[in-house]
Amino acid sequence: ATAAASATTEFDFKSYMGERAASVNRALDAAIPAGDPPAALHEAMRYALLAGGKRVRPALCLAACGIAGGREAWAMPPAAAVEMVHTMSLVHDDLPCMDDDDLRRGKPTCHVVFGEPIAVLAGDALLSLAFRHMASVDSYPPDVDPEKHPARVVRAIGELARCIGSEGLVAGQVVDLEMTGSTETVPLERLEYIHLHKTAALLEASVVVDDILDVTKSSEELGKTAGKDLASDKTTYPKLLGLDKSREFAEKLLCDATEQLEGFDKEKAAPLLHLANYIAYRQN
Amino acid sequence: SPTASASFDLRRYWTSLIAAVETELDAAMPMRPPETIHSAMRHAVLPGGGKDGAAKRAPPVLCVAACELLGAPRAAALPAAAALEMLHAASLVHDDLPCFDAAPTRRGRPSTHAAYGTDMAVLAGDALFPLAYTHVVAHTPCPDPVPHAVLLRVLSELARAVGSTGMAAGQFLDLAGATALGESEVMQVLTKKFGEMAECSAACGAMLGGAGPDEEAALRRYGRTIGVLYELVDDIRSASGNGKMRSNASVLRALGMERALGIVEELKAQAKTEADRFGDKYGDRVLPLYSFVDYAADRGFELQDAAARP
Repeated sequence: ATAAASATTEFDFKSYMGERAASVNRALDAAIPAGDPPAALHEAMRYALLAGGKRVRPALCLAACGIAGGREAWAMPPAAAVEMVHTMSLVHDDLPCMDDDDLRRGKPTCHVVFGEPIAVLAGDALLSLAFRHMASVDSYPPDVDPEKHPARVVRAIGELARCIGSEGLVAGQVVDLEMTGSTETVPLERLEYIHLHKTAALLEASVVVDDILDVTKSSEELGKTAGKDLASDKTTYPKLLGLDKSREFAEKLLCDATEQLEGFDKEKAAPLLHLANYIAYRQN
Repeated sequence: SPTASASFDLRRYWTSLIAAVETELDAAMPMRPPETIHSAMRHAVLPGGGKDGAAKRAPPVLCVAACELLGAPRAAALPAAAALEMLHAASLVHDDLPCFDAAPTRRGRPSTHAAYGTDMAVLAGDALFPLAYTHVVAHTPCPDPVPHAVLLRVLSELARAVGSTGMAAGQFLDLAGATALGESEVMQVLTKKFGEMAECSAACGAMLGGAGPDEEAALRRYGRTIGVLYELVDDIRSASGNGKMRSNASVLRALGMERALGIVEELKAQAKTEADRFGDKYGDRVLPLYSFVDYAADRGFELQDAAARP
């Protein structure tokens, strides 16, 4: 028990995340071979997908597989798929007909570099690749359980598809669009709905922090256009609740997330616990 | 065999299938909050009463016909058939966007962005892609008669067909102006934009029906050939003034009418050769495959009439 406790306190979150990001990046790089025809379309997909980012979502996926007793390598294809889907939603969100953003992660957005139609296509192709990559047997290491693996992956694909569809991610984007520029005061439940759907569960805290950072940090620190949300009259947590109340809200969400981990083995839960803390308290 | 083909009532077969697919699609997209997006998705997928009449649903028909050829129940293929239509519609919604073809209409009705706005059309497409996978996972009878491993192959195949080496590659090549070039470029655009989806339809039906590797490969070739044939005939018909309004006029300009008609004959022969492989083993069950070739080439009847009188 002492060993487990000290393992938890000594858990090196920074190198844990660094290693995960590196292995996720390798998987993403391998999933879209450079130069395959049509080369320009694959280049646009790679540009958006390999632009950096902390890979928090895939890390969550890998850590959740670990806490459930699996090998992290078994969860790499779904982890990569989650990042592909996330990237696709960013590429489409940034389009001129949507949020019209020129910068993402400190770089010109996909449509600025490749043009609008290619950005739409690259997003669509990333979405397809996510599901193809996750469904293909070739994506997985050979030591997955041949009996249980197909059923597990089918379930995971059903889950991912449901989370990003018209009652998940897209629902959040729709309500977000409908609220942007609206003069009526947006009720808190409405905003929660947007973020709950755009990110779901544990990552809701991440979005609250995103909104706080959006007001207080400059463009360079954020890698995206600062104050953009307020400038476009988009409703955010800080605008609605004030900065202090938003931080309190983030803390409450962190508590909720931490409670969910109480039933698990302490050592195995350490990565997820640190991830939750990281998401709630990060500065950029 | 042309005589056997004539004795098979494709129109009745197709009509009953379309009715089943429409029911499946309608039930898969109930109106629920947020209503705008679900309304836009329904607009994109369900036929409505446009002047061009009912959607023809060629991908679902190919999928079910391939599955039934192998003697498997229609129920095994219907969810995938509906999913094909969702993926197809999602691609078309994005293809019609102002930054692509800027098409104001589709199937004789306002296109999705014309009716709901460009932002909502982007999102409707983005929601239809995953709905296809959700639908297949939730409704395919699994593990009996469709094992999980087969369902995974179907999901992978669906994603491949609309991905960066499939339909999206065709859209990309089309955008890049490939149809203004020579015959091989034009045929590549047709193969990617239309052949891949049809190949996927037949391949999914084959997998869901329990095909062996050789049967699956033959049905893939059959489907791909039918997809290109179907579209090329559309282009020829509209160039001669009796088809749909919009078309790839550049396809006919690049090929020339005479060569286009020659390619149609080649494709017809190829598709029938593939169908012939199944005649000995499956007897009359191969008839839908033959009659589909004739329909793709000649459009001997109007399906909107058929759909109106189920």
